[in-house]
Amino acid sequence: MASTLRSSAARRILAATKPTSAIRLLPQTRVAAFHASQKHQILPPGPQVVHGTVNDPVPVPIANATHGSYHWAFERIIALGMIPLTVAPFAAGSANPALDAALGTALVLHSHIGFDACVTDYFPKRQYPRTRTFMIWLLRASTITAAVGLFSIQTNDVGLTEGIKRFWRA
Amino acid sequence: MASLRQPTLRLLASSNIRRFSPTIINSTRCLATLAKEEIVTKKEPLVKKFSIYRWSPDEPTKKPQMQEYSLDLNECGPMVLDALIKIKNEMDPTLTFRRSCREGICGSCAMNIEGTNTLACLSRINRDASSTTRIYPLPHMYVVKDLVPDLTNFYKQYKSIQPYLQSKEPAPEGKEFLQTKEDRKKLDGLYECILCACCSTSCPSYWWNQEEYLGPAVLMQAYRWLADSRDGKSGQRKDMLENSMSLYRCHTIMNCARTCPKGLNPGLAIAKIKMMMVQSA
Repeated sequence: MASTLRSSAARRILAATKPTSAIRLLPQTRVAAFHASQKHQILPPGPQVVHGTVNDPVPVPIANATHGSYHWAFERIIALGMIPLTVAPFAAGSANPALDAALGTALVLHSHIGFDACVTDYFPKRQYPRTRTFMIWLLRASTITAAVGLFSIQTNDVGLTEGIKRFWRA
Repeated sequence: MASLRQPTLRLLASSNIRRFSPTIINSTRCLATLAKEEIVTKKEPLVKKFSIYRWSPDEPTKKPQMQEYSLDLNECGPMVLDALIKIKNEMDPTLTFRRSCREGICGSCAMNIEGTNTLACLSRINRDASSTTRIYPLPHMYVVKDLVPDLTNFYKQYKSIQPYLQSKEPAPEGKEFLQTKEDRKKLDGLYECILCACCSTSCPSYWWNQEEYLGPAVLMQAYRWLADSRDGKSGQRKDMLENSMSLYRCHTIMNCARTCPKGLNPGLAIAKIKMMMVQSA
């Protein structure tokens, strides 16, 4: 008896406090919260664009070996060169300033080329021209900062290899 | 012999034969099968679920969804394409997919089955009935309908590499262009490509930049013409790839070689193009 009274009273209070508009709004907000394809959650693929007719070949970019085969060869030479440069301090047992400088230079170049490839992959000019420009300049600034920092460690401090060694043992 | 016998058994096992009209049964061959029917024991139904990606351009605002179909595998052929055809014929005629040769030579039925890009006609149905087989269209392509991707850009890219022989001199009078056996061998593993687009659509780099990066399938064909001893335009062909996007977006992820339903290795062909470009530059 008491429970039915209480429940009916509670129901009356609920009915008084809950406006009808809130009931209608509730499902809508829920849908929005779990909507996976909201514009900013998944990148909009954009409509399909076919340049020319379907029978035209895609345009061929202007040949430029600096961005093509020279770039690739340079990247590979640096990547391969870093293997002996990394092994050398271990083999020699001591840090050599010249080898240290070479390793530092190669490291900066290798990182720059690697991150540059990421920018090219993830920020294509056709889709995000302004973000791409910003990312390229951000990368250049970071590379210069890293190079200056390494130069400073090399000239004023113990050097790259010795620095890593101390950091490792710390 | 066993392989010869198998299709007959399958026919017997199917219940369709009993639904044939008397006029059709009235042939000697069918009479013989009817006589044998008593011997064949009917198998227990093995019901397998297929979850298939559905999207129709008729209702463009409706989200793509997965639709489930249950199929008795003992009444169905062994390959995923057999199951799809059975679903289309008997359960849902609106299910749309490309198919043609049903033997892995046309490349029409390329789709993403159980997370792998492959040809439906070459992939066996997993007979474990407890798991659902999921079928999607080729990933990261514009969908025309259900399992049909739009390959317009893919074909336009293929056209851009000029996939035909371009000799410096005209063919000798009344003869074909000749080639040594060794030179011909260089084309093995390249010419077998059926352009099903399984490799290109499995390549993350192609997902990101398919407007500019040519992709493994097209690059392997580019190499097929670069490696051909009879072709006289390798200089121009290499110049077409001499930029940051067309070729050098390949980061040797090697999904292409892993997924190729014909067992080819586009990644190796791309690596060979890169070596060729360095040597000639």
